[in-house]
Amino acid sequence: MQSIKDILNSFDCEFVEDYKKVWVKAKLNSKDDLLSVAKKLKENGLRSLSTVSPTDFLEDNIMEINYFFEDLDTKRNLWLKLDLPRESETCNIESLTPIFPSANWHEREAYSMFGVDFLNHPDLRDIIKSEDFTGKSPFRKDFDWEAHEKDNLTNVQTIVDAFKKEQAENEVDLDTDSSETILNWGPTHPASGPIRLRVHCDGEDIIGIDPDIGYVWRALEHLITKKDFIGAIVSVERLCFMDNINSMTAYAMAVEEIADVKITPFASWMRVLLGEVARVSSHFMGLGMFFNNMGLHTLAMWNMDTREFFLDFLESYSGARIATASVEPGGVRYGLDMAMFNELQLAIEKFDSSIGEVEAIFVKNPTMKLRAVDVGVLSAQEIHEFGLSGIVARASGVKTDIRIDEPYAAYAELDLDYIIQKDGSAKDRFEMLFHELKQSVNIIKKAKKKIEENVASGEMNPTKDHMVKVPKKLPKGEAISRVEWARGEVLMHLVTQEKAKTPYRLKIRAPSFNHTMMLDHLLQGQTLSDIPLIFGSLYICQGDLDR
Amino acid sequence: MIVIEIVKRTIRVAKALMTKSPAVKDVRFEPMHHPSRYRGKHRVNYETCIGCDSCNKICPTNAITMKELPFKKQNIVPEVNLSVCVFCGLCEDVCPTKPEKSIILSGGRYDMLSGGWHEDQDNFWVNVDIPKSYIDSRLEEEATRVKKELAAKKKAAEAEAKKKEESLLPDFNKGVLE
Repeated sequence: MQSIKDILNSFDCEFVEDYKKVWVKAKLNSKDDLLSVAKKLKENGLRSLSTVSPTDFLEDNIMEINYFFEDLDTKRNLWLKLDLPRESETCNIESLTPIFPSANWHEREAYSMFGVDFLNHPDLRDIIKSEDFTGKSPFRKDFDWEAHEKDNLTNVQTIVDAFKKEQAENEVDLDTDSSETILNWGPTHPASGPIRLRVHCDGEDIIGIDPDIGYVWRALEHLITKKDFIGAIVSVERLCFMDNINSMTAYAMAVEEIADVKITPFASWMRVLLGEVARVSSHFMGLGMFFNNMGLHTLAMWNMDTREFFLDFLESYSGARIATASVEPGGVRYGLDMAMFNELQLAIEKFDSSIGEVEAIFVKNPTMKLRAVDVGVLSAQEIHEFGLSGIVARASGVKTDIRIDEPYAAYAELDLDYIIQKDGSAKDRFEMLFHELKQSVNIIKKAKKKIEENVASGEMNPTKDHMVKVPKKLPKGEAISRVEWARGEVLMHLVTQEKAKTPYRLKIRAPSFNHTMMLDHLLQGQTLSDIPLIFGSLYICQGDLDR
Repeated sequence: MIVIEIVKRTIRVAKALMTKSPAVKDVRFEPMHHPSRYRGKHRVNYETCIGCDSCNKICPTNAITMKELPFKKQNIVPEVNLSVCVFCGLCEDVCPTKPEKSIILSGGRYDMLSGGWHEDQDNFWVNVDIPKSYIDSRLEEEATRVKKELAAKKKAAEAEAKKKEESLLPDFNKGVLE
């Protein structure tokens, strides 16, 4: 940590300070220093750039850019801020993509949403937003959504025209003598989900992949600023329904930090318990989808069967199976009826009795191993450079897990170990999912036991301890929070204004964004049949890809 | 051998027919799992609703519109557009009436979309149908209350006037005595 501070102090900084346990927070005065700072930071070991998050301060006429650097090995992180002028002519900054490849899409997103111009970016095109937003910056505070919505029909026509133009240009641009073609993989491919990959291929061989994303763009980060602090959980959980609870936990933690509220031990244990139940439900889907993409649907069906029991518990607790909306700032939303644990016990028993078969038939499946063992290999070096996280990172042997690195809720009291694989192939990522599934169920067992013991001894009151009151109006401030989501690391950056009733800005850093960035890198030189397999193994969800 | 095989298979089939299937619930009529907290179709109690508008304010999808009633107080009541609602239950959370909330989702019907009757799906709103008798009685109540209030006001005004007179009297008496 001291070495990072030394580097920053050698430049012109407004402040350099410690933030939480594993962060350094600093603000650069001049944007000209950014490149040289970034180079030195990389030499120092901060190899991944987690995300780039602009905040638009309309009144001060400032576009503030936040860079989040991470070192996955030594767990040192840096939050670097920088002020830019707001006018679109001068709102530009040197791109970090040549030094940190992971910045590529994040800078494109900042460019599309806020109109920040990144100089010397290798491929600065619009991303996520549809063609009718071309030339507009929808997340700027002065963007007129109502005027945009008014021309709905012409907007739709713009999108259609753009698509037709693209297809027509493909025909012309490609060399008629070569055999190169562009295939559209998705958005209606059974394995794709709402994403379109423009696959440049020569016969069966893939030359390159250019993903077209944004099919489920709901502008969540903007929607949240239209709601109050409690209503925002409804938007936050729509990051991805498979694991909706951990995303709400991240948001709630950020709000609690600004409001300076401490939650009860019961609430923090409930967050662990519910979060792991959601993780189990997500991992079950991931396992099933991997085999689905290889053409075998049995595992997905079996998993759905066991998953139902866990969803039953969620439904009893919160009243909904998928969209639970059950974590609020201040704790968890509902009290616990101890009889609900009987249902959780049923789920655990069902899991224990059926997981052996899954392991014997699918995880140790010789055909799967032959097919997936050399496909989509990611080295540890690439994990660092592209800022990957979650099971993808751990499958390549990188020890990163926010639950251990920066413990939140009650994870500090749990004795967790990193689960890693060595080779980083598609097979390893599949096995990672399986091992994490078992780890999650173990955590559920521990958390359940802990809550039961404490309730029996009278230390926790399951019907009253679940909430601490959070004031409706928050002071001015900003906070970041990280959680280990089912698909990887989620980082939320929350900004509030004076006497705020609504969030001013919430940046959600979603792991699938980085993982989708890897598709081009992984699939170059492979064949078309590898697309579903590698896509499935990266454990991508379009919900958090587009937000 | 063949005979034994035939007998074996017959017994097996017979057994399979005799054992009860694990799927015993017809989920068209009865849900598999219906906990008391299940967030289903709203029920609005217009009698206890105080018309504070907080459910409308918190609704994250603007699914709630307030229906106007011909009263002076408690003159709005929520109606829910179910095709916009995301069933988050925040309206129930913020409802201040006690002991029972005036807008309730918990334990509500789940078969708004899955119930196969066409008529059920025509109307995607939770409407509040208030009988005329209730409106009349409330209006009457209000009228009597207004009358009472007016009478009370009049009385108070009279009393005040009297007081003033009385307060003037001693002065007058004083003057006389002196």
